[in-house]
Amino acid sequence: MTSIRSRSFGQGSDGSTVSHTNRSRNRALVNFVVLPFLFLTVALLGGLRIGAESRTFIFIAPPLVTLLLASLSLLLFVRGGLLRFHQWVGSDFPPLTNIAHTWMFITIFFASAQAFNSVLPEGGLFHWLFSFFFLWTLWNNQFSSFDARRLLRSLTILFGTAFVLKHILLASLYSAEGGWFKRVAGTLLQGVTLGTLETPTFAPVTGYIAFFTLALYIAGLILLAFANDKPTGA
Amino acid sequence: MQSKPIQVFGLGFTIAYAVLIVWLYATEPRTFKEVTTSAEIAAGTYEIDQEKFNSALSLFQREQFRAAREEWQRADPAQRDARTQFYIAYSFYREGWGRVYFDQELFKQGVEAVNRAIALSPNSPLTIDDPDLRIHTPAELKVELDQGLERSWNDINPLKVFRTRK
Repeated sequence: MTSIRSRSFGQGSDGSTVSHTNRSRNRALVNFVVLPFLFLTVALLGGLRIGAESRTFIFIAPPLVTLLLASLSLLLFVRGGLLRFHQWVGSDFPPLTNIAHTWMFITIFFASAQAFNSVLPEGGLFHWLFSFFFLWTLWNNQFSSFDARRLLRSLTILFGTAFVLKHILLASLYSAEGGWFKRVAGTLLQGVTLGTLETPTFAPVTGYIAFFTLALYIAGLILLAFANDKPTGA
Repeated sequence: MQSKPIQVFGLGFTIAYAVLIVWLYATEPRTFKEVTTSAEIAAGTYEIDQEKFNSALSLFQREQFRAAREEWQRADPAQRDARTQFYIAYSFYREGWGRVYFDQELFKQGVEAVNRAIALSPNSPLTIDDPDLRIHTPAELKVELDQGLERSWNDINPLKVFRTRK
């Protein structure tokens, strides 16, 4: 048994070398393949909607405000210790490692922009209301003390709340398939606000896509927090 | 050092994926079918459905212009074939042509289609060798359609009822 174990995992200094090599490879796989792929998938799905009537794809590029929100989020990630630039990019690292890590930061930026895009109403007053509350929250958070875990919890709550408001509450209010009460409430709301709350409606599957996108984004950030212990390729 | 191949693979793979995403947002395909059509265009392997094209041509010759257009649109869903777009424009012209007046809406759509045909053959001017047609190039067709859209004193000339459709 001991001989099998020793053959499989090595022993003593050899064992620790094999284990170190495996750990290094796995971290490299997560940092250079899994995380960018995951964040790019968020970037792909964050702007994807399905038309309510036509049932066709609608790709919505990230509005300018989401780029601002993504920038604030990245600042927050740095402040909260989720992204440690000095540990990931520096003159001591090989150029390829620096490029790969910078590329990952770029994918995080666009994933953040698209994550906001997926929970922002597409137009009307609600778009600006949501944008304002996101900006307010992120700006306030810049001055709070955060660690990675608290930051992740806060972001999960933020995105979760926005998801419920947009894809459950608003979608149900404007849904043509809803009951008469919903339709009356939706029409009244639009009438009272002179149509400024009007927002395009999408097929229910859009909500599922948004949920999957946000889950993927949060999962990516959690994975990033674990991958943060020690950068690869250094 | 051992992570270098993974770094290279990861960079290559994810950059290709990012390019695909940018391309999807730029082309905005509405269905999976359109995704494949756009991919064929990007790869330079896009071809029209010749069978549908011929069927549309036969409808066109029988003066079933609307049906012909629908068939041509199915034959060239990406609107990338100059010849098909020329025929679509021609069908708008023939349907919109009248002895007393021209249907402005159809002529406008004809201009849009003929502009597409011109844009799709910028280097070698397109010439259609079809004995059934009296106009053989997109430029001539465009002039004919533009003239139909113009308002002039000639519009009230009673002799215009003797003009012929091309």
